[in-house]
Amino acid sequence: MCSSRVVSKWEKALAKLEDQSEERTAEPVGTPDPVDAASVNIFSAEFAACPQPTYANLREKCPVSRSAIGGGPILAKHEDVVWALRQPEIFSSKMDMQLAMGTERPMIPQQIDPPEQTRYRRILDPRFSRKRMLEIEDDVRKSARDLMDQFASDGSCDFGEAFAIPLPCTAFLHLMGLPQEDLGLFLHLKDSIIRPQEQEQEGMAVQQIRADAGRGIYEYFERAIDARAGQSKDDMLGFLMTAEIEGERLTREEILDISFLLLLAGLDTVTATLGCNITYLAENPEARRRLVENEGLIPGAIEELLRWETPVMVVPRVLTQDVTVSGVDLREGELVSLLLGSSNIDPSAFDDPELVDFERDRNIHVAFGAGPHRCLGSHLARMELRVAMEEWHRRIPDYEIQPGETPRFSPGIREARYLPLVWSV
Amino acid sequence: MKVRVDQKLCVGHGRCYELAPEVYDEDERGHCRLVASSVAPELVASAQRGAVNCPEHAIRVEEEVDP
Repeated sequence: MCSSRVVSKWEKALAKLEDQSEERTAEPVGTPDPVDAASVNIFSAEFAACPQPTYANLREKCPVSRSAIGGGPILAKHEDVVWALRQPEIFSSKMDMQLAMGTERPMIPQQIDPPEQTRYRRILDPRFSRKRMLEIEDDVRKSARDLMDQFASDGSCDFGEAFAIPLPCTAFLHLMGLPQEDLGLFLHLKDSIIRPQEQEQEGMAVQQIRADAGRGIYEYFERAIDARAGQSKDDMLGFLMTAEIEGERLTREEILDISFLLLLAGLDTVTATLGCNITYLAENPEARRRLVENEGLIPGAIEELLRWETPVMVVPRVLTQDVTVSGVDLREGELVSLLLGSSNIDPSAFDDPELVDFERDRNIHVAFGAGPHRCLGSHLARMELRVAMEEWHRRIPDYEIQPGETPRFSPGIREARYLPLVWSV
Repeated sequence: MKVRVDQKLCVGHGRCYELAPEVYDEDERGHCRLVASSVAPELVASAQRGAVNCPEHAIRVEEEVDP
């Protein structure tokens, strides 16, 4: 290998990076096209099924558009999205309770801002570091194998139901130190909160289903904490029960508000990412064959598919003041949608953004967000994804979407709600 | 070459120590910690690889200025 050539490649990328990180001016230049309020519904299933062409359209024609639902601004450019993510004092995470997903208080640390948020991250980050996550890798691998034992010889499955939904949930139970028998209960509570529309309870309002499930989650963790009184255990719940911030133990409410977040944020996102990855690989057999032949490509493939697919397409923020973004005036109090997915395929930040390249030299995707709210569970997610992709492809290297069927994706978080796979046995 | 990490920008994405562990390590919180601030010529490419992949642009690889 010619090392001098490699160095010059990185030097070129570094020079480009220096260019982009120049101090940003307060008043962006350029006049955007008129805002077309009703043209794009980023919270629709159609959009979730194939968002990339729409991202490009928004970035080029209307980098600050208005949501078809609620009318809030949608930021589509990498520069704007990343800038907003790094300004929590302007783009606040303190959500109005109307956006609450069955919670009675803000979830910690996701729905609070620095400096308060930083105090929690200081104690939580070490528990979610890459090194810590490697400690539970064997448990997750065993769960993946156990799950596959149940369907690998069938030659078909619904990917979500059989694998992508239960795997992150079993990992969560391991991490927290909760009994695996609670899997079904957790899946039910989580689904009631995230997709109350799918609950078949006649005449029950969505908010009511969410509130009931939210109470169920609080009560579950209350019982789990009570059952542990006096015992110390080296798992997440045990940690939260003894952790201190500036010499003070966490209150019961704080423990509940952190646990609630871990449950809501840790399960669906990994499920969705697995579904996006397997859909892509089922539809691109050549790329899949390369991964099967060379497992060493899997970490790079995971990063690249996080970039290209961006399962968490959008994150919300609330404006604490008036601000101008890409020439558009936004008002205090507006609910802003930051399009992570669009940011991740913006040609100003990525070479050949439409090319899916598992060996991409420079991948600065923000699928886990950026700035102080960078996903707390990103190292857990990466470990789960790597283990799942390795185990799946060792056992089922060759698969396809059942002929004649089309996967269905849920809006908001792109989860494959229907992904029938077939393979030969 | 010298490597500098702006700790005010680092939020612990961990891309640097994943891609170039010979130059970057993680501290207790999972934030970047340099193995050594000065890198030997054979590690410069690794240092640069970690730098260009930082989503926060927190890493700089620069020529060392002679005293």
